[in-house]
Amino acid sequence: MKLRILLADDHEIVRRGLRALLEKHEGWEICGEAGDGREAIDKAIQLTPDVVILDVGMPNLNGLDTTRQLLQLNPQSKIIVLTITDSDQVIREALDAGARGFVLKSDAARDLVSAVEALQSKRMFFTPRVNDLVLAGFLDKGHTISANEAPKLPTLTAREREITQLLAEGNSSKEVASLLNLSTKTVETHRSNIMRKLSFHSIRDLVVYAIKNNLIQIDVPPQSKTTAGSSAA
Amino acid sequence: MTIRILLVDDHPIVRQGLKTLLEGRSGWQVVGEASDGVEAVQKAKDLRPDVMVLDVTMPRMNGLEACRVIRHQSPQLEILFVTQHDSPQMMREALDVGARGYVVKSNAARDLLEAVEAVSQHRVFTALHGGNLASSH
Repeated sequence: MKLRILLADDHEIVRRGLRALLEKHEGWEICGEAGDGREAIDKAIQLTPDVVILDVGMPNLNGLDTTRQLLQLNPQSKIIVLTITDSDQVIREALDAGARGFVLKSDAARDLVSAVEALQSKRMFFTPRVNDLVLAGFLDKGHTISANEAPKLPTLTAREREITQLLAEGNSSKEVASLLNLSTKTVETHRSNIMRKLSFHSIRDLVVYAIKNNLIQIDVPPQSKTTAGSSAA
Repeated sequence: MTIRILLVDDHPIVRQGLKTLLEGRSGWQVVGEASDGVEAVQKAKDLRPDVMVLDVTMPRMNGLEACRVIRHQSPQLEILFVTQHDSPQMMREALDVGARGYVVKSNAARDLLEAVEAVSQHRVFTALHGGNLASSH
């Protein structure tokens, strides 16, 4: 069965480019297109795509709000956001909203296929500049770790680490419970304990922690040797 | 009618979309691509296209500066701007530096083919998004 992808960008010319890129991949098909966030939600309900690729800067409903609404409708949605900016704020908002992939438009030709492959395998994907910012952002929050210092793993039990990983991979509490043969209530208790022990307030914090401590793997493409493209802000 | 086209935009995905649209026309050929103004100037000289589809905002050398240089270097080459800037002022500036056409990216799928055809025949083609109809003369 083909992987079904929904594209949402307000520029048809960009959608054409994305379609040309993705349809080269055997086993993938573009099941629909949308020109704004509201249309993206309607099409997602109608077409039930496996992966949704959303431009951040869309009219009517932007990509970040669309991400939130899609995940409310279907928490299993796999969403990649596309953006022209790699500002810290946009990255944080995208992660907070629940996006599993973050690709810069300038890097889309290079990274988008890898991003879809990652999400297809239940992994997350960030383009390299974003990945660096995600990790730097974690350190900026006061969780500084020197080169010789071990990660803060001892504060979590083995079971808590297991649950941290599964939650950071995008599984719901119910799914985690099913995977670990626990009750949902038990998982939610563990989740609360984890958040309290690590002083986290959002799933984004958990995701960054899991990345930093190698509890989850993300796909990062090799750095390009050339430096074409506009400079980061 | 054969038209040889050079695409210039710093986003490869945009170039791919433009190429897909343009090569659907029989006889039209994308002969090369460039990702900034400096590369555009060099490829204009090397490939001698009939039409250049050119973005405004690019690294190293922006599209307006590239257009100025290219029109001086290759006066037979017609330039069509395809840009995010839905601005009458920017459009006027583009025409002042020698472009023959100006189309906004949000409407590129609608306007591009007609625009390329017009400028290849040395006719001006302009189309802004904000309610203005496309004009060709």
